[in-house]
Amino acid sequence: MDDAQKIGGIDKRWVYILVAVGALIPILMPMGLPVKTTPAVEQLFDRMESFEPGQVVMVSFDYGPSSAPELDPMADAVLRHCFVKGLRVVVISLFPLGGDNQAKQALYKVAEEFPVVEGEDYVYLGYKDGGLAVLRRMAEDISIVFPKDTRGVEYSEIPLLQDVWNYSDIEISVSLSTGIIGEWWAILVNAQFGQPVGVGATAVSAPKYYAYLKAGQMVGLMGGMKGGAEYEVLLGNAYPELKSRSNVAIKGMDVQSIVHLIIIAFILMGNLVYLFSRSERKRAGGRLGSQ
Amino acid sequence: MKRQVPIVLCFLTGAFVVVAFFIGHPLVVDLNEKLDELLIIVTAFALVLGVVSFAQHHTKKIQRKQKDWRNSIVSLTSLGLMAFLGLFESMLKSGAVIGDRPAFDWLFTYAFTPLQATMFSLLAFMIASAAFRAFRIKNVEAAVLMIAAVIVMLGRVPIGQYILPHSLEISEWIMNNPNLAAQRGILIGAALGAASMAIRVILGIERPYMGGAGD
Repeated sequence: MDDAQKIGGIDKRWVYILVAVGALIPILMPMGLPVKTTPAVEQLFDRMESFEPGQVVMVSFDYGPSSAPELDPMADAVLRHCFVKGLRVVVISLFPLGGDNQAKQALYKVAEEFPVVEGEDYVYLGYKDGGLAVLRRMAEDISIVFPKDTRGVEYSEIPLLQDVWNYSDIEISVSLSTGIIGEWWAILVNAQFGQPVGVGATAVSAPKYYAYLKAGQMVGLMGGMKGGAEYEVLLGNAYPELKSRSNVAIKGMDVQSIVHLIIIAFILMGNLVYLFSRSERKRAGGRLGSQ
Repeated sequence: MKRQVPIVLCFLTGAFVVVAFFIGHPLVVDLNEKLDELLIIVTAFALVLGVVSFAQHHTKKIQRKQKDWRNSIVSLTSLGLMAFLGLFESMLKSGAVIGDRPAFDWLFTYAFTPLQATMFSLLAFMIASAAFRAFRIKNVEAAVLMIAAVIVMLGRVPIGQYILPHSLEISEWIMNNPNLAAQRGILIGAALGAASMAIRVILGIERPYMGGAGD
């Protein structure tokens, strides 16, 4: 076995250990790398920033715990942005595998940081199964789909919702989504009902959303932890008092930086080994052929 | 009769929803909204179907003592426990509390969430290992893909700008141009495929709802 083959056959546990160490070091010793913002996130932030106090924003929790590390920071940042600006927030969930709990955890955690009152400044209408049908029906009447909030208060008795009956009463809907649900907001709620839509998506599904963003079916896009970090940077710049609270994704970017470098190093190393082995084989083949 | 009724029902509802999109008459709009409500209810039944199928699969596995059948006991117990707490927690309020939280909430936060997060975080390790073993430049297309992947990976992290200046801008260009073109192609293709499939289902050519395509 030559050296290249030895390197190529490295035990994958070494790879795992290296990734683990690479992830651990920036957590223990933060590097504080500066995060640059991109137009996709800036557009969403600027749209949110343009609203007046009292205007209504819908936030849909369309993800579960598996995507929480990427999407939780976005959810926190968007909710903080709403509350710090005095916007009224209507929260729903469309993801069956834990969307309800993600919504409750994020909403009540962030709401505690501000002098806001449930039912007046924000309301959680809960989870509803049915996906596209739910989104379609809300275009006519939200109270049909969500007759009560999660406290059991009738829709018609919630002060915040007295003038909120369908999408036309909501300035923007922000979907924090894993999988396909964010697309539904773009292709149905925006395209068919004209509701401005912003999406926070996991990094793995972000590339497909660029098509909707460029087509004008989305106001802005936060892709992966980087998108969340960008929103946190913009929020921190606009509201310095939130800087110390809204920085989970920014801290996460240090870890992601190192792990990306490790993966890139492995890709390059794997290819060097491959090219070296191939040239060795060719040379050996040439020698055999000439004998 | 067993074949014709579902086909006729499928045709009538499918065709109605398509036609209703173009008609603004209150009667049609009203009926269309009622169909939406019906769809929400029917979709909820799909969850029941999923639970029944899951329970059947694992019960069989335990009965036949198939490979890893003990895991099935854990799965079924977890399903039963979470379902019970979710459905009847309000009745058991005094008894179904762990610490200061409702038991369902506690189990979700401290059992389900870490398990899901663990599964998802393993991806980072798998990707690193797979990148080393499988991402080989065997032809020009693979080389282009690898270069694009490396630039995007650098562009998506702050440290990238120190290693490759303008990696963020190049990465944005890749996402906004070649990626966008490919995504649009895929989306248009998928949409056309979905539309043609919908027509086939409405016309009864494809009948997956009867237990198999074309049955």
